[in-house]
Amino acid sequence: MALPIVNHIRRLRFEHGEMTQSALAERIGMTRQTVAAIEAGKYSPSLEAAFRIAHVFGVGLDDVFQWDE
Amino acid sequence: MSFREKSAWITLVSVLICFGAYFAELFGGLASDQHHFGGLGSLHLLLLSVLALVALQVILTIVAALTTPKAGRGLADERERLIQLRSQSLGYHVLMLLAVGLFAPAFFGHRGIEMANFALLAVVIATLTVAVAQIVMFRRGV
Repeated sequence: MALPIVNHIRRLRFEHGEMTQSALAERIGMTRQTVAAIEAGKYSPSLEAAFRIAHVFGVGLDDVFQWDE
Repeated sequence: MSFREKSAWITLVSVLICFGAYFAELFGGLASDQHHFGGLGSLHLLLLSVLALVALQVILTIVAALTTPKAGRGLADERERLIQLRSQSLGYHVLMLLAVGLFAPAFFGHRGIEMANFALLAVVIATLTVAVAQIVMFRRGV
């Protein structure tokens, strides 16, 4: 079932030196597979994890995740 | 594949092989007079199965660890903890259901080691349920 949240993690990774999923995972303390699941919209991260991701890219939460009904 | 997903596969495969063989030997011999179902022979079979299970899991876990990058072998992250919680909750409910189901063989006169084997079968089924649930959730995302 598709989650009602879209994210721009893949685009942000490419805009930040073509960061790999593994590199992002290491920065936020998660596995590469979890980052892949978040990117694919299969898993909704916790608020803390969402903030960590936004902090890595130096953008606000709204720039990474958006509610999409 | 993450280390934890590999661990779930290792549990599934090793329990299926070792306890599958155990129960196949146990129930398969029921038709003959030389079965071990209610006797001490089942304890020898059980010991062999447990030793085989431990050996298989140790070997496969070492292989899984060697084939997983160091970063993937750290503490479980929030998704992995969620998958563990949900799968163990499902396994618990399966085990409770099967535990109640143990009244059935007791009603039909089974006792002692026979009932212990039925209880062990319930534990094995619950363990397999946990492993399968984890694998499905890892594949699906959560």
